[in-house]
This record gives sequence, C-alpha cells and structure tokens, in this order.
Amino acid sequence: MSKNILELTNVTKNFPGVKALDDANFKLKKGSIHALLGENGAGKSTMIKIITGVYKQDFGALIIDDNKQSFSSPNEANKSGISVVHQERNLIRRFSVGENLMLNNLPKNNFGLINYDEVAKQSKKWLDIMELDIHPNTIVSELTVAKMQLCEIAKALSLESKILLLDEPTSSLSPQDTKNLFSLLKRLVKEQDVSIVFVSHKLEEVFEICDEVTVLRDGKNACVSENINNLDRQKLVKLMIGRDEQIIKSKENKNMNKENLLDLININTDLGHKEISLNLKKGEILGLYGLVGAGRTELIKCLLGLDRIISGKLVLNNEEIKIHSPKEALEKYKIGYISEDRKKEGLILMHDVLTNAGITVWSKLKKILSFLNNGIIYNKVDPYIKKLEVKTPSYNQLVSNLSGGNQQKISVAKWLAAGTDILFIDEPTVGIDIKTKAYLHELIINLSKNGTSIILITSDMPEMIGLADRIITMKDFKVVGETINNHNYDDMSSSIMASIHE
Amino acid sequence: MKTKIPDFVKTNQFGLLLLVIVFILLFTFTTDGFSSRFNIYALSRVVAIDIMIGLAMMVVILTGGLNLSLGALGVSAAMFGGWCMESMGIPISISIVLILLFGSFLGWINGYVTVKTGVHSFIVTLATMSIYFGFMTLLTEAEAFRKLPETFTDFGSMKLFNKYISPLLLLSIFTCFVLFYLFKFTDIGRKLIAAGANPDAAELSGISVNRMFIYCHMLSGFLAAVAGIMLTSRIGAAIPSMAGHLGFDWLLPAFLAPVIGGTLLSGGKVTVFGTMLGAVLVTLINNGLYLIDVGEFWVRFFLGLILLFAVLLDRAREYFTSKNSIVS
Repeated sequence: MSKNILELTNVTKNFPGVKALDDANFKLKKGSIHALLGENGAGKSTMIKIITGVYKQDFGALIIDDNKQSFSSPNEANKSGISVVHQERNLIRRFSVGENLMLNNLPKNNFGLINYDEVAKQSKKWLDIMELDIHPNTIVSELTVAKMQLCEIAKALSLESKILLLDEPTSSLSPQDTKNLFSLLKRLVKEQDVSIVFVSHKLEEVFEICDEVTVLRDGKNACVSENINNLDRQKLVKLMIGRDEQIIKSKENKNMNKENLLDLININTDLGHKEISLNLKKGEILGLYGLVGAGRTELIKCLLGLDRIISGKLVLNNEEIKIHSPKEALEKYKIGYISEDRKKEGLILMHDVLTNAGITVWSKLKKILSFLNNGIIYNKVDPYIKKLEVKTPSYNQLVSNLSGGNQQKISVAKWLAAGTDILFIDEPTVGIDIKTKAYLHELIINLSKNGTSIILITSDMPEMIGLADRIITMKDFKVVGETINNHNYDDMSSSIMASIHE
Repeated sequence: MKTKIPDFVKTNQFGLLLLVIVFILLFTFTTDGFSSRFNIYALSRVVAIDIMIGLAMMVVILTGGLNLSLGALGVSAAMFGGWCMESMGIPISISIVLILLFGSFLGWINGYVTVKTGVHSFIVTLATMSIYFGFMTLLTEAEAFRKLPETFTDFGSMKLFNKYISPLLLLSIFTCFVLFYLFKFTDIGRKLIAAGANPDAAELSGISVNRMFIYCHMLSGFLAAVAGIMLTSRIGAAIPSMAGHLGFDWLLPAFLAPVIGGTLLSGGKVTVFGTMLGAVLVTLINNGLYLIDVGEFWVRFFLGLILLFAVLLDRAREYFTSKNSIVS
C-alpha cells in the first residue's frame, strides 16, 4: 500500500443556513489519480476550497504528508505543493506563455529588471516536460482553448506542485484534446511524482483515468477511496444521486417527412461562415455538432442579428426574412435562444427569479400605458417555473443565490414562457447535475413533440445522439456533414467523428 | 434564520431615514435658526433641486454610466427657456414644453453618441459638457435673462403649508413617485433596469439595449431640464453661471444623492426614494455645517468625505451581492 499524501479527516464546514460539509473524509494516495464526484451542491467545491486554503474547516483536520496543516491563504497551500486548475482560465491573456508560467517568480537580471531570455528558458523546461509544442513567447490569447488548459497545468507544475486539483478540466475540450490531456496526466503521475484530484461530471472520463473514487452527497461521504474496479457506471450514479439513473430516452424520428420550417441557403457571415446551407423541419430536433471553435454558437448569433449575414437567404415558412435583432426574432418571428453561458448571457444574476423568468414576455403582457406589475408576470410564468420544478424559497430570491441546475432551469423557463415556434438551445446541460440533466433532456423531447422546432448545440456526444433527429456537423465555420440519427451510439459517434476529421 | 423584523427596517432607505432624523435633531439642538421657518423654507427650495439632479444622475448610473454634462445641460436648457420666454415672448406653458424637449434632445445626443461609439458615457458626457456649455455661452454672450414673466418667477418664491415649504419640493416629490411607478410598474421601466444590469442577457432576451440606454440618457436630460427650470424660477432669472462654471456645482450633489441612496454604480439597480433621502441628507449636512459656521472649505471637505464613504458603501454592497452565492 502506498501512503496517503493528502488526507481530510472528519471535516465539517458550516455556512449560514447550510452544512456544506458534514463529517466528510478524503484520502489521496501518493501517485494516484483520484476522482472527487458529486452533484452540484454536494460539497465538492467546498472541499476543494478547504484543501487549497480558501476556506478553513470548522471541525476536522487537513493532513499533508502526515503533517497536520492549516492554511490561512491559497498562497500557503501553493507553497505546500498544492495547485488547483479551475474551470475558468486564470491566465493573463495579453501576456506570453512564458510570462504566465513564471509570473510568481520572474527571473531578474543584475539591474533588477526582468530577464526575458531566462523567462523563456525556464518556462521552456516545463513546456518540454508536458511535451507541449508552444514557444514561450507566444501570446496566450493566440492559443486554442485546449492549449490554454495545458498551459495552466504547466503553470501549476512550475510551482513544484505535488498535488494537482483539476476542476472539470475537459469541459471545453474536444474528444481528441481530452485524450491527449489524459495521456499527459497519466505520464505526469508516473514520471513527475504528482498526485491528482480529478473533478468531473463526465463519468466516462472517470472510468478512463481514475484509480480511486470519493463521492459526496449532501456534504457527506457516499463512499471514500473506493477502487474504480469495484464500480460501474450504474453503481457510481446511484452513489451520487442516491437512486438509479434514468437513461436518456431517445426520440423516435417521426417528423422526417414534414416540410421545412426554417431554411438557410448559402449563408456567408461577417464572422467567416462559408456557404452554410441547412434546414429545420417542424417539430424536429436538429443537432449541430462540432468542436469548440467550429462556429456553431456564432452561426446562431448571426441568425439572431447580432452579427451580420453578408449574403445568402434565410427563409421562414417559405418567405424570405431578415432578422436584425433578438427582439425582432422573438417578437416578429417567434424565435428564441437559450444561451450556453447562463451567467453572462442567459440570466441577470443580480435580479430575482420572477424578473428573470418573465423578461421575454414583458412586452406581450403589458397593459395600457405600459403598465405591468408582479402579479401579471407571476400568473404568466408561475406554471413554467412549477413545471420545471425550480427549487427556490420564493420568486423574490436573487438568481445568483440558486444552484447551477436551478439557474439553468430559469433560463429555460423564460423561453418556455415566451412560447416560441423555434428554439435555439446551446449546451443546455454544461455543469449541471445528473438529475437536472435528465429532466432537461425529457423536456427538450417533449417540447419538440409538441411542435417546437429545435436547433440543439451540444458537445456532449451521448446527449446529441440521444436527443437529435438529424445531426449536422460543422468544422471551421462550414457544414461538413449531415446524418440522420439512428440513436446507436457507436454508429453515430464514429460517423460524426469521421466527418469532422475527413 | 427567521426574525420578526419587517423587511422595510432592513433596507438602506430605513437607515437613511434614521440618519436624516438624527441630523435634524442634532442641528435643531446645536444651532440657532435651523428649525426656523425661514431656514426650513430655504432648505425646501434647495433640496427640491438636489433631488431632481440626483434623479437625473440616477437614471444614467442605472446603465452603468455617468452623466457629467448634467449641470451644463440643465443650465443650457434653462437659458434656452429664458430666451423663449423673454426674447421670443412664447407663453410659459409652451416654453416649458420646449425646454423639456430641448433637454431630452441634449440627453438623446449623449445617449446616441455613447451607444453608437461604444465609448463610456463618462468620456462622452465630459465632451458634451464642454460643448453644451461652450455653445450656450457663445449664443447668450454670457448674458442673463432677467426679465422673465412674473407668473413664472412667482412659482419659485411661493410659500405653502404655513409658509414652510416651497412648491418646488412638492414637484420633486411628485417626480419621485412618477419615477417609482415607471421602474416598478411598467414594462419599459423594467426593461431599462434589465438592460443596465446585464446588457448581453437583456439583448438576448429580446430587449433593445441600445434603445433603452438612449431612453435613460433622454430621461436624464429631461430631468436636468426640469431642475434647470426650477432653479431659474427660484432665482428669478436665467443666469449662465447659476450652476457654476461648466455646471460643476451640480456634480457633487448629483453623485451623492443616488450613491448614498443605494443605486449601484455598476448599474442595474435604482432606488428612487433612496436618492430622494440621499439628497435630503446631503442638503441637511450642508446647511447644518453652514449654520454651525465651520466655514466654506470645511463644508466641501466634509461633502468630499461623504462621497468617498458612499462609494465605499457601494463597493461593500456589490461585494455582499456577489458573496451571497458563496455556497455552491
């Protein structure tokens, strides 16, 4: 048995009104990759923040290398060899890779000025260990998302970290990049004597690279350091949600012969889309698959009038239309868009539930002289908030106080209330717990059964294959393939990947 | 977590109300003449205008912006009014409508330029402040309009409620109620707030954010013009320097009222009655300090301190709004 490099014993952390962690344990073996799992709100983030010195536990001990430790700041945790790579990028985009890597310890020359040759040399060392083919003088903003992620890990390594916490490291990576990242992580564990804590919602990944699993549920341990070989997907999900998982129900393709509702004909845009042609049938779920940067979200934004369509035709119900703004899309053509970024584009976090859920219908609901009160809005949106089972103490609650899953439900609810004919749905389940995810899948299927036509963007392959009727693949702002979905995962995923990598 | 304290008590406004009462008591007992009929009447005339310019600033702060041209704009509108009434002999009621339209138009320029260039309104209104004031001085040759119709100037010196209160104050309070209604009970008011809080989310939810921002600037111009009319009526003449050079004298109270009142500088939150109480508080402190006779410079010193304190409060407010989501 190898020894534990990091241990949390009987840790409890209280926040006003919430017990975020309740007598929880965690043991990280030296040289292992350990998955930390749980639904949103289960206490993962709190645990990570205690390990990294952001919070201090109320009870229990943090033990590193057999020594009891107590960090009063993230800096101290860093010095003890603990680094965390967050979901959000923490690199300074206008600085070079080398500067970012060496930021905490920039080498200086005799005059006390930064020695840039040395910066490049020292940072190169870490890039080499990662087998990253990036020049240290490259500006970060020029890198791809995947490379930025890898640079963050390089930065963590450059701090001589022995314990690496990765929080959803693959959420913005393509399958290929994910594969590369995993082989790198395995190598780091072997060669650099690093131990890794891996947080992810994607269970496939956990089975692929993790040795042991710790699951949190409602702040308590559902299991501690369980060997991955003793688990399968069903067992793991049961540990996480306390009951069996509902598998994504596939939708049958009944609507394939109906007429086109929305046609894009040879669309070229300001953002660089080339000759995009596709059609959306009534009551259909049309999937748009592609890697990050394929131009899917950008295409939707052009359709909504946020960026310019240079040439080509947009036809709705056999009539050519031009959309100048989301307002026009909503009010004139009954088209809505559920954003992938609920915090920035989907919701007004500082406003309450009622305001957020009703924002799309204010114009419709207003009475004479623009009169509109909470009661009128309440009557309209209440059924939808109830239908989505949003958990909130009241409709006056600020949306920023809700959990991620409930926030996503609100950003969906407002479009249900709007009652649009066409809905563009962009990455509806990113960072959402399994229960809410299954719920949203069912909702999307029901919406389309009831006649709403949907364009679905998702990078989650099982989700795409479960939900879509037809799948369009995009690459480099072009359409590169179209397949009728037969809901067979192996078939579909290989044909989709083939069309991307042709 | 359950307490029986009514929600109202926990609000910023309630704290302000307490402060106002404390200062009233303090000045009543420590100074001569604070509670005299003359002083209260004088206070009501001053505070009326401070409330109005506070509101004018508030509706632009709502967008996350600022309106530095407020004073210049208000004075320009007032001078335009002086010209209408005195030189052109246009009836008072029509003149007032023209002044308000003129103020809204100048506000529209601020808004239009801000939205079309994407430059922060701080810069845009810094420029238009100079432009409006410069143009006004050029056209009027820095001459005042002193022969305004008596009906108009009488309004400013009218005394109500046993000669304690100026009708100007009633006008300001009425405006507060109208704005409160606008933001609380109308579709357009809600859209203005939503656009200010998160422009991206508002745009994608079908709100025309640019239009909303322009409306806010127009409303600001409108309210500044009202303040200009009120000041003209109070002084009995339209004078180019009545709000100081470039209208600077209005800037400090214009900022203080909404920020003390609880309007977030980053936008998306308005407190109409908070702004009103903020203006009352500032006027009180100003007046009290004069009566204590601490000297002009100390008054400015204290007002500056209060502004800094209010901004700190703003930061704290923002911090606590974001802090709420700490449990994830």
